[in-house]
Amino acid sequence: MLELRLVQGSLLKKVMEAIKDLVNDANFDCSATGFSLQAMDSSHVALVALLLRSEGFEHYRCDRNISMGMNLNNMSKMLKCAGNDDIITLKADDGSDTVTFMFESPTQDKISDFEMKLMDIDSEHLGIPEAEYHAIVRMPSAEFARICKDLSSIGDTVVISVTKEGVKFSTRGDIGTANIVCRQNTTVDKPEEATIIEMNEPVSLTFALRYMNSFTKATPLSSMVTISLSSELPVVVEYKIAEMGYIRFYLAPKIEEDEDETKP
Amino acid sequence: MGIKGLTKLLADNAPKAMKEQKFESYFGRKIAIDASMSIYQFLIVVGRSGTEMLTNEAGEVTSHLQGMFTRTIRLLEAGIKPVYVFDGKPPDLKKQELAKRYLKRADASEDLAEAVETGNKEDIEKYSKRTVKVTKQHNEDCKRLLRLMGVPVIEAPSEAEAECAELCKSGKVYAVASEDMDSLTFGAPRFLRHLMDPSSRKVPVMEFEVAKILEELSLTMDQFIDLCILSGCDYCDSIRGIGGQTALKLIRQHGSIENILENINKERYHIPDDWSYQEARRLFKEPVVYNDKEQLEINWTAPDVEGLITFLVNENGFNSDRVAKAIEKIKAAKNKSSQGRLESFFKPVANSSAPVKRKETPENDAKEATDKKAKAKAGGGKKRK
Repeated sequence: MLELRLVQGSLLKKVMEAIKDLVNDANFDCSATGFSLQAMDSSHVALVALLLRSEGFEHYRCDRNISMGMNLNNMSKMLKCAGNDDIITLKADDGSDTVTFMFESPTQDKISDFEMKLMDIDSEHLGIPEAEYHAIVRMPSAEFARICKDLSSIGDTVVISVTKEGVKFSTRGDIGTANIVCRQNTTVDKPEEATIIEMNEPVSLTFALRYMNSFTKATPLSSMVTISLSSELPVVVEYKIAEMGYIRFYLAPKIEEDEDETKP
Repeated sequence: MGIKGLTKLLADNAPKAMKEQKFESYFGRKIAIDASMSIYQFLIVVGRSGTEMLTNEAGEVTSHLQGMFTRTIRLLEAGIKPVYVFDGKPPDLKKQELAKRYLKRADASEDLAEAVETGNKEDIEKYSKRTVKVTKQHNEDCKRLLRLMGVPVIEAPSEAEAECAELCKSGKVYAVASEDMDSLTFGAPRFLRHLMDPSSRKVPVMEFEVAKILEELSLTMDQFIDLCILSGCDYCDSIRGIGGQTALKLIRQHGSIENILENINKERYHIPDDWSYQEARRLFKEPVVYNDKEQLEINWTAPDVEGLITFLVNENGFNSDRVAKAIEKIKAAKNKSSQGRLESFFKPVANSSAPVKRKETPENDAKEATDKKAKAKAGGGKKRK
């Protein structure tokens, strides 16, 4: 028996919007600690990890660990039917092959039930070790989204380099080049406008902008984004979900190939 | 071709060894492709209507070039790194099979002539497909095309499937792609079907793992080879009246062809005279392949733009705009192939939570977890029943 009641239903809607373009089908894992998901895109280049801790729900009941395979597009279709102020309750019975989403309007005068078929998904679960990152950049999420959008109109890849000067995003395309530097800035009125750079070692990595742009769909979930970089690891782009958990995107870097020796 | 009825036998008896995968999930993987099989398919399918085929000005068929060019670009665009392996000298044992095929083609040619006379369109199509033969020239054309595209080509000392399997065993490639189930008998650890199918058919790639097959059938590799020989392979006759199912039963019961021969009812099943199963077995177990010491160069290089234009446009009458566009695609894909995969950083682990529907004892649960770990692969899911 599983029953999760989320007062802030819009949060689940936003989570779906953030991941449904990246992943088609995924297993949602429920345990006593929370509601989580880990899934890769079809080309195994990007991974999304979601955690919504049990404390964040108004009511959380999960008798035993279960995993529910869902088609995210279908789930998104159903959640779109919920109002932004609705309370969403997720229910599943043991042994059932469906999940029920219940939407209650804030005034309790309208209650909708949506039942969705579950799927058997044979998916790979990757172990992600805790790592010390060479550089961690915290910046306003809207700013990051803007940078990714702007750069993708010029090139396909972004080089993110962190130095003492700040964090630099650069790209190169047929029409020319672009460089955007963001400096550390903590002297702002609101903490969510700050840019904070922690650097142990300078680092520079190349990523496909297509994926970065897809990650920024999570911008409505959090005003800040954290980008963690290490030279031999995938980048982590993390959006905190207030008092509940996080949504983290991992992206494998582009690798410099050694067969370019034909170039002068 | 290949092993008779093996796909069905596996689907019935080892369903867990077969998995549908998305084409895209082979991103960044090196894959050995049995070229002869692909060329044969292209000659049958690409640009055919009745007896008409794509040709250049001199009237030479170019279907194989068209097919090889577009499908290879599709692979490159998906970030796959193909290595094409061409057949070398066929083993002596296969000559009988080849002679049979030659006769069949001759029959088909006669039927075709008859069909053309009577003007039966369906028959013309059917028989003209059967007359298709991959010639040395076709192979040479494709090799030249691939080299110009910057795609590595390997000429196998003997059977291409055997060489593909060897490349996969030695870890030089991730998987083998062919339509010929022989690859499994040669022991290719990971074997893909339908990789080269046109995107329009929307057929998912079918992935087979030999280790899984052996586990599911509870056979050793030697027994599996015997099973394939009994089911019917290219290298020797099989016993009349014994198909895949019976073969599997017999192998499970007796363990090897020798023991089967001792115990089988010879009245009921007629064993072929001078049955050369031992030679066939040896061919599967110790095929003629390049050994590790012989350095195989497998490199993906930039395409030779001028060479491609000369070859395709000037010599074979391809549309120059299309070729130019295609070359752009190859170049763009070259760029893309530098994208890393997440698995090179994070390793798969077993997932602890059980699916909502399954109720199992703890013992089974533990098994489930190890199973998951073993097969741990992302892929399309299927609707629960």
